[in-house]
Amino acid sequence: MSAGADFLDRLLAAVPGSQADTPVKDYPTVRLSAPKDLLPAARLLKDELGFDYLEMVTAVDWLGPVNLGGFVSNPNPNPFTQKHPGPPVSPVAGPGVTYRPVLDLLWSFGDLVKNRKVFLRLEVPRDRAEAPSLTGLFPAADWQEREAFDLFGIRFAGHPNLIKILTPDFLQGHPLRKDYVHAKDRYDAE
Amino acid sequence: MVAKPVPGGQVVLTSTDYIIDLSRKYSLWPLTFGLACCAIEMMVAYAGRFDFDRFGVIPRPSPRQADLLLIAGTVTKKMAEPIVQIYHQMPEPRFVMAMGSCANCGGPYYDSYAVVKGVDRIIPVDIYVPGCPPRPEALIYAVMELQKKIMRMKLERTYGATVQAEKGSRDLTGEPA
Ligand code: SF4
Repeated sequence: MSAGADFLDRLLAAVPGSQADTPVKDYPTVRLSAPKDLLPAARLLKDELGFDYLEMVTAVDWLGPVNLGGFVSNPNPNPFTQKHPGPPVSPVAGPGVTYRPVLDLLWSFGDLVKNRKVFLRLEVPRDRAEAPSLTGLFPAADWQEREAFDLFGIRFAGHPNLIKILTPDFLQGHPLRKDYVHAKDRYDAE
Repeated sequence: MVAKPVPGGQVVLTSTDYIIDLSRKYSLWPLTFGLACCAIEMMVAYAGRFDFDRFGVIPRPSPRQADLLLIAGTVTKKMAEPIVQIYHQMPEPRFVMAMGSCANCGGPYYDSYAVVKGVDRIIPVDIYVPGCPPRPEALIYAVMELQKKIMRMKLERTYGATVQAEKGSRDLTGEPA
């Protein structure tokens, strides 16, 4: 962390409201306070600090415990252990982990010359999951944002072609959301 | 080929059947088509140590040239349409082998929102190979079983061949067997 302290200080100073967060995998991590901070931060990282490679755009859904009322029909389908059902699905919330109705977005920027990495995080409410698109700065953001849109339902404002990328056209909803309930389609019919 | 029974015709056709079945049996060309991790094991079966060429199994790059559709891996719902399309592009007689738990029944992804629970829900299957993934030996055994099945095929349905015996698989056109 010490080696990256200089660019971290510049980033924190340039983006008001941002603060250093728990490091993701020991890499410097910055939490943004509002979606409008993302573009200035990314532009600073790319143009002045040398982070010219967008590695990843992803998200975490922090809604309560996993809902098994969805597509998992029988959590313990082994016929030999019906008398001893599998471990109950218990909440993983503990110290420092609280369930809340937010989607925690994560961007990872890399500097291939100096071998550095920095993460940006941003929480958006689940019902209005919106963030600015980075496609103008990083063409690599195109498909990754489409993936985050497809699986989490995050709308990236300014994306030129925000359509499904992984799931088939007939799949309803966003499967990686915790409250996703699978509607049976033509391949599920008995 | 003789269509109606003629004196001695049955004997002639039987020998013809035998020769045709023999040539089908030893030129079983699968489509180069891998869907998931099972495809790695399929490639091993083609390669030097197990040498599928011994059985006349030579991978072909086009469904038009292939006799055998080896479903090696997980059939996702998005891939289901193309698989049906490929199946219909293959000339008859065509054979389908479901390799691995995924292609048999959905396997580890049975509860997934994205996986078809077995490729036999969309196309007819001749041989199921269990395993996750099956070893190349299992694949070779499956091909040998398929060869036995091919030797039972008959050219003309008039001589007592069912649809299955004539075409190698169930009829998808809806005609009762
Ligand atoms: S059966 Fe196992 S090895 Fe084969 S595709 Fe499925 S998960 Fe992979």
